Amino acid sequence: MNAPVHAKLASQLPFYQPVADECTVFETAWRQQLPVLIKGPTGCGKTRFVAHMAAKLGLPLFTVSCHDDLSAADLVGRHLIAGGDTRWCDGPLTRAVREGGICYLDEVVEARKDTTVVLHPLTDDRRILPIERTGEELQAPPGFMLVVSFNPGYQHVLKTLKPSTRQRFVALSFDFPLPEVERAVVQHEGGVDERLAAQLVTLAGQIRRLTGYDLDEAVSTRLLVYCAKLIASGMGVRLACRTALVEPLSDEADTLAALMAVVDTQFGA
Amino acid sequence: MEDLVGGWWDKLIRRTAYRGYPQAAVALADIEKQAPLFFRAMGGDPALTLRTAVGTAHGARRRLLERIAGTGEQVELAWRDGQSLYLPEKIDLFPDAARNRELYFWLMALAAQPQHSDDGDWLTRNRRASAACLAAMPGLAALYRRLVTALLPLRDTPRDAAAAAQEAAIRAALQQPEAAIALPPCRTPPQPVLLWLHPTPPTAPTAGADDKQTPEMEDSDSKETKKKRRYRARRDTADERKNGMLLVFRAESIFTWDEYVRVNRHTDDDDMDDAGAAAEDMNTLTISRDNRRRASRLKFDLDLPAAAYDDTPLGSGILLPEWDYRRQRLVAEHCCLKPMLPRDATPAPLPDKLQPLARRLRRQFQALSPERTRKSGEASGPDIDLDRLIRFLAEKRSGVAVAEPPLYQAWPPGGRNMACLLLADLSLSTESWLGEAGQVIGVIRDSLLLFAEALSACGDDFGLYGFSSIRRDEVRYLLLKDFAERYDDTTRGRILALRPGYYTRMGAAIRQSTRILLEQPAQRRLLLIVSDGKPNDLDHYEGRYGVEDTRQAVLEAKRAGLIPFCVTVDKEAGEYLPHLFGRRGYSVVHDARRLPQVLTGLYASLTA
Ligand SMILES: Nc1ncnc2c1ncn2[C@@H]1O[C@H](COP(=O)(O)OP(=O)(O)O)[C@@H](O)[C@H]1O
Ligand SMILES: [Mg+2]
Repeated sequence: MNAPVHAKLASQLPFYQPVADECTVFETAWRQQLPVLIKGPTGCGKTRFVAHMAAKLGLPLFTVSCHDDLSAADLVGRHLIAGGDTRWCDGPLTRAVREGGICYLDEVVEARKDTTVVLHPLTDDRRILPIERTGEELQAPPGFMLVVSFNPGYQHVLKTLKPSTRQRFVALSFDFPLPEVERAVVQHEGGVDERLAAQLVTLAGQIRRLTGYDLDEAVSTRLLVYCAKLIASGMGVRLACRTALVEPLSDEADTLAALMAVVDTQFGA
Repeated sequence: MEDLVGGWWDKLIRRTAYRGYPQAAVALADIEKQAPLFFRAMGGDPALTLRTAVGTAHGARRRLLERIAGTGEQVELAWRDGQSLYLPEKIDLFPDAARNRELYFWLMALAAQPQHSDDGDWLTRNRRASAACLAAMPGLAALYRRLVTALLPLRDTPRDAAAAAQEAAIRAALQQPEAAIALPPCRTPPQPVLLWLHPTPPTAPTAGADDKQTPEMEDSDSKETKKKRRYRARRDTADERKNGMLLVFRAESIFTWDEYVRVNRHTDDDDMDDAGAAAEDMNTLTISRDNRRRASRLKFDLDLPAAAYDDTPLGSGILLPEWDYRRQRLVAEHCCLKPMLPRDATPAPLPDKLQPLARRLRRQFQALSPERTRKSGEASGPDIDLDRLIRFLAEKRSGVAVAEPPLYQAWPPGGRNMACLLLADLSLSTESWLGEAGQVIGVIRDSLLLFAEALSACGDDFGLYGFSSIRRDEVRYLLLKDFAERYDDTTRGRILALRPGYYTRMGAAIRQSTRILLEQPAQRRLLLIVSDGKPNDLDHYEGRYGVEDTRQAVLEAKRAGLIPFCVTVDKEAGEYLPHLFGRRGYSVVHDARRLPQVLTGLYASLTA
């Protein structure tokens, strides 16, 4: 979870298809030492975007997937017992600060509120990280950047960022990319031809019309990529769609049947 | 004897003449559960309701045998207007049931295409819409070609030259929708094309005609029994484009499905006794609204049945404030809220029809509880929190002075530490009819019962209340289950005894619910409101006033630390609910019949 991804050559940049001016915004924020909040549904490319930008800016990336058991120590660090002795071990946040890299907290609302409080002194102009357990106080170098993401669906009304936390970030809103962009993504990531990618994207557009009516969550770019991968590896198209696009979205028999009817408008025989 | 022979003869002819394959028939009811989703996915307007089409007479030449038998003049075509998508009640055009079923899906895709005002005549419109479908959807194109291949042999070749040319153009357009083909002029109307939409969709009468009906509707019960108002639908093409007019006619129903035929099939109506009129009536489409409900509501407004069929009041009432947006302040003691128990409630078990779903929900919700109740880092508890202990010992050994943290794991009672108050709108509008599924109130009852089954299973604290109102001095607040009560046959009986009430003074009901919920010790407190429309009441509590008061009540609840959330079956909710509950504070259920599933599913995901 916290392995750094060190700077790669430009040719090894993780593939990211820009949707609008998010790359420029991100880079400017980094230069101005501002923390960034990325909002968007799951599977729309947030993680990939951050990986891409980290590589592009030549920064090590420390990613933490947040969950409700995540403690401040998981972020900052803890003492470990090693060979009968104790040794301090930096958490991902501390390492990012020390190395001047990006710390990316994915799905930050999942973390407990008392955990996110350790971020506060890093997100104002002091940019410091006090480590209570070692008595240190780290000053973040210019390269350091804090990036957090969350999915603002209505399923999460009980879990949102506190306004006091939110107001510390500049924010980018992500959504599923435009058809042409998404087609390029599916084609590249899924390894399918342009025509099939275009069909998958059309199908996704049809299914996304149901979000908020028949389905809670829209079908993600990630699922489209999965579907393309299954097809590219030789699975039948309808079966791939059923497995990667239809079944993950619902458990209701009628909804599944209707979704398959929609799939058939693209891939029916 | 003669009669008997006549009967046989008649039947024989009818059977021979009937142009369909009843044994392969597919009914709209067979696909109704999939239809709305499919239509929306094809780009159809999610606000439209789905209805069965009434048989539409077509004027094309019939086969001789059909003319003798008198059949073959009614055909059901699909069309869509500003309100609804109309599909044939059943399709038996093809000998193969699979084709008949596919035809439904084709018609939905076709009807979902955007209509352009400059699309020209019937043939051109259908041709273009078909071409658009085929271009975008290769799978659907294959289906379409199967249908065309099966259809062409079923169509007659007229002997008359003009009619034959017309038929040839239709066939060509069916086979090559992308080619520019025009419909040659002809005196006889073409044979109906069941793969296309209605050439001249029946239009609704004008708003004026409806207004004239209104006073009549109010006045007497005898008029009310004749609620099947008749309107001669106009059949001129010019009117098609004015479908916006239909907005005046918005069905007051809120459902995605409506048994249209039930009120509209009228061939053997009582006051239509002479045969000539009946024949003429074949050319007439009746568009009737269920005026009865409205009539009774109007009457109800005029002479209010003062506590006529009243519920059992509990105490004298609670005074609550109300927000006056014009003065921008809270007016103290403005409303009187009366807690009540539903009248005639007798303990009752869960109805049989709900058992299967209840079982499923209980299983799901039981699974929610155990893993969530385990808490680590407790000051005391049955288990040692090893992770924390090791961390603590390591720190201690490193020489840093750290206070001993809580090192136990526990399953504290109250588990998820969650309390939910469900407040249901029981205003008169919930009386409205929901097709086969019954009335909204029925769906609300089922939803309350199933919601309670589910929550009992996961052990969360919950209370159930309902409300309606008659002006500010009578906000009726029905107690169904309070937080201290168990959910049992007594509470089930109260829910089952619920009837639609009066109006919707939502602010007061929310304020009272907020008070109750604040007394609950849980950490997270959810105020779930099930509604079917805007706040309103008989006095000035309507429009902006009602909305603003409700908004204030919601804000007060939020400020008090509660999480208000609204689930509505009102499709227009998008216009006002964001203002009341915030953009993410509500959810619209488009198929009201699914309310129970949606409500419980929502609760699970909200609290997960
Ligand atoms: N703009 C994009 N460029 C490249 N790949 C993308 C893009 N958007 C989505 N993807 C693909 O979708 C997958 C899921 O994206 P991810 O970043 O994990 O989503 P999120 O973090 O938003 O949940 C990625 O693995 C990638 O294959
Ligand atoms: Mg991610």
